[in-house]
Amino acid sequence: MNNIRNLSFIGICMAFVVIALGAWTRLVDAGLGCPDWPGCYGFIVFPTNEAEIALAESRYPMFPYDINKAIPEVVHRYFAAALGLLAIFLVYLSFKSTNDKAIRGWASFLLVFICCQGLFGYLTVSLKLLPIIVTAHLFGGFTTLTLFYFIYLKSRNFQIFNQINISNLRVIAGIAFVVLIFQIFLGVWTSTNYASLACADFPTCQGSYLPDMDFRSGFNLNQEVGPNYLYGLLDNPARVAIHYSHRISALLVTLIFLVLMSRLWFSDAAPLASTLGMLLLTQITLGIINVVYVLPLYVAIAHNLVAACLLLATFTVNYLAWKK
Amino acid sequence: MMLICAFVGMLLAEQTVTSYGYLFISLAGIALCSASAAAINQVVDRKTDASMKRTDQRPLPQGELSATHASIFALVIGVFGALILYYYVNTLTMTLTIASLIGYAFIYTIYLKRATPQNIVIGGLAGAAPPLLGWTSVSNTIDPYALLLVLIIFVWTPPHFWALAIYRKDEYAKESIPMLPVTHGVVFTKLQIVLYTIILFIVSILPYVVLMSGMIYLVSAVLLSSAFLYYSIKLYYSSDDEDAMRTFQFSIYYIFLIFLALLLDHFIILS
Repeated sequence: MNNIRNLSFIGICMAFVVIALGAWTRLVDAGLGCPDWPGCYGFIVFPTNEAEIALAESRYPMFPYDINKAIPEVVHRYFAAALGLLAIFLVYLSFKSTNDKAIRGWASFLLVFICCQGLFGYLTVSLKLLPIIVTAHLFGGFTTLTLFYFIYLKSRNFQIFNQINISNLRVIAGIAFVVLIFQIFLGVWTSTNYASLACADFPTCQGSYLPDMDFRSGFNLNQEVGPNYLYGLLDNPARVAIHYSHRISALLVTLIFLVLMSRLWFSDAAPLASTLGMLLLTQITLGIINVVYVLPLYVAIAHNLVAACLLLATFTVNYLAWKK
Repeated sequence: MMLICAFVGMLLAEQTVTSYGYLFISLAGIALCSASAAAINQVVDRKTDASMKRTDQRPLPQGELSATHASIFALVIGVFGALILYYYVNTLTMTLTIASLIGYAFIYTIYLKRATPQNIVIGGLAGAAPPLLGWTSVSNTIDPYALLLVLIIFVWTPPHFWALAIYRKDEYAKESIPMLPVTHGVVFTKLQIVLYTIILFIVSILPYVVLMSGMIYLVSAVLLSSAFLYYSIKLYYSSDDEDAMRTFQFSIYYIFLIFLALLLDHFIILS
């Protein structure tokens, strides 16, 4: 059991790294840094010297080679592949060193899920960054992280969690979880449609609290990709609609989390309340910095990672509320 | 004590006292926020407090005050204090004050305290903030001299608190709070107290070394630090728990007198 616990913990850390690398790839516009999959311009790593680059460009004349975009993409792929190997090993351990059927089941599910996630990585490239696919790919990443975390929670008996009884908070915890996932969807949709900078001011957007918005094309999930979706294709009001929805929804999330946090605080679960509070405060601050300081790379990646932390924290609250 | 340190920070930050009203309003904002932090601490620790002699007379464990009322009170005075700092003082002071509130009331009380024997060493950083808060409220910059005052309190906190922890170690053990005497034994803790007091001796001389203070401070610091060192070495060779209490009590006089010496030195040199 101990080795499952340790391996799933390493899995959590690795999943965070892969999510960060994925965000980095997206934020430096390197999603199409390699036009093919699983190789990069037909190479196992990426072309480095002049001869290789010449060969690469002759293979894909439509895609001029940029090493600064190939590197993030390839690094992300190999870390993700390493996480896949780790999942295989976790399944092996779950059958070898425990009789816990639930852990075996979840570890196997995790392995299947990671394979699908790899497939979505392929679709991201082959469908030229179609927003709905990129969004699904990120949700897959967050789900992979949550699955590793779930197996970790199951394989480790936290004493502090045994003293917490919050089964009366199931409804509000559930609502918070659903609203948070919706907010993460809006955040990813903002990123995949290149709408992060659609509003350059805060708290107003383009000088107004009710800017010109086009929800119909902003949230049209069957949109056309054109030759590729790099840098986005939507016109400004559509991007503003996406961006502003993410802000309004953040307000909604904050309100619901304030209710959840105060309920937790008075249910003798102060550690959970304070963890949610600090993560939420950090996340809102990072979001505002993203807008005001024109999307600094590390802040944008951190915004992504703290979202993942918030998801895990809210998942923990639900885990404790719903467990028997 | 925290307010005295903040007040000294303010007075040291400027050459002459310009406006007592301004000093008072800054101090009020910092006081409200630290009171809020203390109230949150007592709400979170109400069960632990009830079973410890030092704290069982507090209103929450006594049942005189409900957790709901105390939490709302903490929230209101915390927000009020932050607003005072924002509108009448400056944003930097407000940010730092809220950061130290979070550091003490949440990070220290909720996580560190029960997680590691280094709890008070790390948490001591939040407790050491007041002179910096006082300083920034006047100067609106993070001055290296102010950080030196923070360093003095930061280094002073472990020997101060561990002396008490030795005296109260059975109560901490009963509540399974991993204080150093509980996890690593009394002898090891006493050695740490001596070592930290030596560091404190050196740190307490730094204000003279960097030309922040003069001879009056140097003489006071050497005398006070020598006395503290005497108490801690005596504690190391003693098997009487009362010596731990004496060291703890002296440490309180120590920090008070060190700051008084800084202040005297500052104004005597000016006049």
